[in-house]
Amino acid sequence: MISPTAAPFTRRRLLGGAAGLAAAAFLAGCGGPAAARDAGPPRRGGVLRVGVTGGGASDTLDPHSPATNPDIARTLSLYEPLLHWDDAYTLQPAVAEAVRPDPGARTWTATIRSGITFHDGRPVTPDDVVATFRRITDPDDPKSGASQLGILDDVVVAGDRQVRFVLSEPSPVFDQYLAEYSCGIVPTDFDVERPVGTGAFRFESFAAGQQSAFVRYDGYWRPDQPWVDRLELINFSEDDARINALLSGQVDAIDQVPLSLTEVVGAYESVRLLTSETGGWLPFTMRVDVAPFDDVRVRQALRLIAGRDEMVNQVLSGLGTHASDLYARFDPEYLDPRREQDIERARDLLSAAGKPNLSLELVTSPIQAGAVEAAQVYATQARAAGVEIGLRRVDTSTFFSDQYLQWEFAQSFWNTRNYIPQASQSSMPDAPFNETHWDDAEYQGVIRRARSEVDTTLRAQLVRRAQQIEFDRGGYLIWGYPDRVDAHQAYVGGLVPNRTGLSLSGYEFRKAWVNA
Amino acid sequence: MTKMILRRLLVSVLVLFVVSVLIFGATLLLPGDPARAILGQQATPERIAALTEQLGLDRPAWERYFSWLGGILTGDLGFSAATQGPVGELLGGRIAASALLLVVTAVISTPIALALGAWAAVRRGTRTDSGVSGFSLVLAALPEFVIGVLLVVVFATSVFRILPSVTIARPGEPVWARPEQLVLPVLTLALVVVPYVVRMTRATLSETLDAGFVEMARLKGLPERTVLVRHAVPHTIGPVAQVIAMQLAWLAGGVVVVEFLFRYPGIGEALIDAVANRDVQVVQAITLIIAAFYVLVNLAADVAGILADPRIRTASGGVS
Repeated sequence: MISPTAAPFTRRRLLGGAAGLAAAAFLAGCGGPAAARDAGPPRRGGVLRVGVTGGGASDTLDPHSPATNPDIARTLSLYEPLLHWDDAYTLQPAVAEAVRPDPGARTWTATIRSGITFHDGRPVTPDDVVATFRRITDPDDPKSGASQLGILDDVVVAGDRQVRFVLSEPSPVFDQYLAEYSCGIVPTDFDVERPVGTGAFRFESFAAGQQSAFVRYDGYWRPDQPWVDRLELINFSEDDARINALLSGQVDAIDQVPLSLTEVVGAYESVRLLTSETGGWLPFTMRVDVAPFDDVRVRQALRLIAGRDEMVNQVLSGLGTHASDLYARFDPEYLDPRREQDIERARDLLSAAGKPNLSLELVTSPIQAGAVEAAQVYATQARAAGVEIGLRRVDTSTFFSDQYLQWEFAQSFWNTRNYIPQASQSSMPDAPFNETHWDDAEYQGVIRRARSEVDTTLRAQLVRRAQQIEFDRGGYLIWGYPDRVDAHQAYVGGLVPNRTGLSLSGYEFRKAWVNA
Repeated sequence: MTKMILRRLLVSVLVLFVVSVLIFGATLLLPGDPARAILGQQATPERIAALTEQLGLDRPAWERYFSWLGGILTGDLGFSAATQGPVGELLGGRIAASALLLVVTAVISTPIALALGAWAAVRRGTRTDSGVSGFSLVLAALPEFVIGVLLVVVFATSVFRILPSVTIARPGEPVWARPEQLVLPVLTLALVVVPYVVRMTRATLSETLDAGFVEMARLKGLPERTVLVRHAVPHTIGPVAQVIAMQLAWLAGGVVVVEFLFRYPGIGEALIDAVANRDVQVVQAITLIIAAFYVLVNLAADVAGILADPRIRTASGGVS
């Protein structure tokens, strides 16, 4: 029942908003806001108000089922896993002071940090850790963290401060799974109505889709942190509103500045941009089990069509890195191959495959900033090779409807992971999200061996071999690693670039201080 | 006259019934299913199956329609898939917030618009008239999104930083706790509504002022003020009330855009969220509420028109 004067939301309308911002930057350039107050050295106290993208009525405080950015930000404030990924994407102890494999890597033992307590003051016990993993992998109601823990057979108490993880097969990289944010440790009597964890902030209040508030947990185990006394996380479903809130001073930091607007927002003297290289990737997914993608020549041709530097420049405004169809760029064994645009060779491959005038439908959706634009740029590039790509644009809900994982030619996005954990998520036949239906016998053999190979050198060889196979015949077209750009007021300190792909220093607000 | 009003009332109820069928049918056509949308990328078949059953999505459509309609008649708006709680609970505060926006806008903009329109009509052909008319024409041509963005640029982010650009309320805090946050949304809505009412008032009043009976009153030597208030104005009430009603009804839908832009926690924002989440019950409830409001204000305008029209008022009912 919207009157004819109220046109529906379209890209044009949002662009109208962007135009407004451009005007704003221009005016700001003329007037010039007051000189920025700098963050200075770390200091205690104050309130940090953060605008976070997304969320809605289905927001949750459940540590083990975070779905949206605000959910993840809350999860990381309230709870902590046994281990965690630091800003450089290396594993660091958190609730556990150590997690070590027993010889053979068939079992792993975690030692709980001494003196660590939940927000209600109770110490963390092995029973709590066991209960946490039972909750995550509950067969009747598996949480989102469960999909990665398929090889976890049992968790048992193994001492005063020790817990043993028993696996169904050896896994030398099991500790990486324990560091996912969806594996936060909670007490045995955990109730989501009374969210208690070991995180830097205690729960205060929560309104789904709107805002949540947290206060400093004085018993937190890291010295000094958190710096601020109070943390407020505010949901924003709309880019313009989020940026306006920052520019008008209603929030201190926002995540995800659209890459096309970074220059405009960065023009404000009172605002600092925080640009992070990430291991996140935004692939095109080709289903290798249906024509024409079942022909490896077609897949290679489509990969050769992509002008990757051009895509990084146009889609990401240059804020990203060229990728060559492989993920896990921060894995120590990352191959870092180079595949450049080669239209001639692509044409030859298509002719050899008997498909010189290929016509395809690409399903695209705003699942992540830049996804739709990437599809548009790629479709234009494909025309040069005689490949006609029709775009079918659907909204995000439709994209992730029951057809998700069935689309023949579509897109996806993933955050930073190392190679084996990522392959187990998306490139193996038993992976929960095998978008490309990749089912290559040799590849599977290599990955299976790599997953359980305890010898580091041998495992490294296997991981490199697996990457070579995916590079040669996989179903992903990975053109770039987008940077993540966030913004905060100049008086906010402590937020640093972070490789995890999560915004604002990995949403670890314990590290931030305000000079207010 | 009573009979006419009753007939209008009956028509309104019928319209609402048809609208309810349309809303229900339209939401069935939304692609994607709610269980999937709520669980997102992390959905597993087991969780989807469980949620589908819990939401009653496995029952036939007609059965769901009638239980929905029955619920509404008894004040039960259903069960939100996203919050896993009653829709009424989800919408209560949001309806109040949107109603506040609407009422404040109406209370501020209606008298201003009427006064401006009358002023322009009385001073037809002067510079005042062309100024008011021209300005309202320009405003009427701007969509609310553009007006809103411009206001934000001018008053919140760039030129002056004196007003908040979005609404931020702590959990449990009502929107009116920080009245400064209401200024820009209200101003945006008012700037969209005012020009239409100004133009309609001016046009109707001008026409009346040219009519024979007004001329007659003037010739009888009545002062211009009396001519205006006693003779001309009553004739414009009907048409102007229609326009005001249309604008109020439009506001109910227009708040969707404005709430989106200003992050205002009303039903518009809830509607956008619910559509994205495929939260069908919430979409149905909100669209029906907006439709009911639409029908209601139009009914009120009709009644006002009937009551204000001397020909109908003096006739003893039955005359159409």
